[in-house]
Amino acid sequence: MKIKELEKLQAESPDTLPSAERRSLLKIGLAVTGVYLGGTILSLTSVKNVRAEGVVPKMGKYPFSPHYSMVIREHLCIDCELCKEACVETNNVPPYGFRTTILERRRDIVGGEQETIFMPVLCNHCNRPPCVRVCPTTATWKDKKTGIVVMNNGRCIGCKTCMAACPYNARYFNEEKRAVDKCNFCWDTRLSQGEENTACVEACPADVRVFGDLSDPSSRVFELLHAPETIVWVLRPEAGAVPNVYYTNA
Amino acid sequence: MKKILTIISSLLVLVSYVVIAASNQPAADQEPYDEDTYGPEARIIWNKPVKGAFFDHKTHTMDMELDCESCHDELFEMETGAAEAYDDFNMAAMADGLYCGACHDGSSAFSSDTQCASCHLVPEGPIVWTKPVKGVIFEHETHTEEMGLDCESCHSDLFLMQAGAAQENDDFNMESLYEGNYCGACHDGSTAFASNTRCTSCHIGVRGVARLMGEKAETSHGSGH
Repeated sequence: MKIKELEKLQAESPDTLPSAERRSLLKIGLAVTGVYLGGTILSLTSVKNVRAEGVVPKMGKYPFSPHYSMVIREHLCIDCELCKEACVETNNVPPYGFRTTILERRRDIVGGEQETIFMPVLCNHCNRPPCVRVCPTTATWKDKKTGIVVMNNGRCIGCKTCMAACPYNARYFNEEKRAVDKCNFCWDTRLSQGEENTACVEACPADVRVFGDLSDPSSRVFELLHAPETIVWVLRPEAGAVPNVYYTNA
Repeated sequence: MKKILTIISSLLVLVSYVVIAASNQPAADQEPYDEDTYGPEARIIWNKPVKGAFFDHKTHTMDMELDCESCHDELFEMETGAAEAYDDFNMAAMADGLYCGACHDGSSAFSSDTQCASCHLVPEGPIVWTKPVKGVIFEHETHTEEMGLDCESCHSDLFLMQAGAAQENDDFNMESLYEGNYCGACHDGSTAFASNTRCTSCHIGVRGVARLMGEKAETSHGSGH
């Protein structure tokens, strides 16, 4: 454009803008703010309602059938890692990743000594899984029937956002499958073949892991979680993921 | 004058050399070891029924001045390692007066159920068990030095005096301990903490053992840096 033509153009300042246009811009701004605020209020209130009484789902309110969950009796774990070995063998887990692992913690006790606490960790099959929320290709979802968070390896593009989103570091990228892999409660290898328990549960010699259907009052998981005077906790409840793997000291 | 001085000083040097050389002669017991008189110089090591039990001829023949007939051929054949082939070559037999027990009965020499470390190697580091589960340790120092227990407290009624032998037994598990076998003989809640409490005192886990082995490699062999 030539300078002369430029000089003739009107300045794009608020003084030259007609009020109708100004109004429509403000309306757009208000609409965006309103949507944002509404979403914030919605997410805050919904978090408050869930798990007000404790981490164990209220009796009778089980969204899945069977409602598969695992109870980990943490004080008995001795890090023999037979569960890890069984998982690796059953599910072909490569050495650079894990479907379940054992974490270690030190705690001061009387006498100036320290005790070691071992904590098995695996995919918690959350009721509000952050990994499912972030997956761009719906390669992972929570199965409606069993509640297991499953993978469709064909749809996984390896973006690893789910690995970052998981509060429990339960996912790893499997090079051979070219997809993210994680614990699936041995669904394809054991449960669908009629086995009752997962590989890790069978392998544990110290009876640390207990697996079963939480909606069945006769199951051991139900008994453990609803035993009187028992403390039950979950890992990282503040993440809001509502996990289905519980830890107890009884 | 100079000539005489030279002769005298060189004579002195010669004499002093001879004297010093003579005084530096090896003492009588540092002469070349005569195996025909004193028996094999090297320690005899037995590996059955337990590994790492040894016998030193020198201590008996040279220091104690025993002659060959004291043991050969009634107590022991004159052949290195022959004794371990016999089924009755064990501590019970020695208590009965067989083998070493013929003299090591408390009167001729220290009793065979005392001073175990004279013949048996005491493990320095922790013993690591891997069966039936991995990651279990036992430390002698905690029991012998800190608690002041003697060898007989566990050997050989509860445990063979051999590192790693216990895990070969099928009944080496927690139920056995609760019934009072193995560690459970003392770890019952009264003598020492009950074996169904404080699990991680001994069950340090696969991670714990890996750390221990890593530390040991650093202190004993150097980390190679």
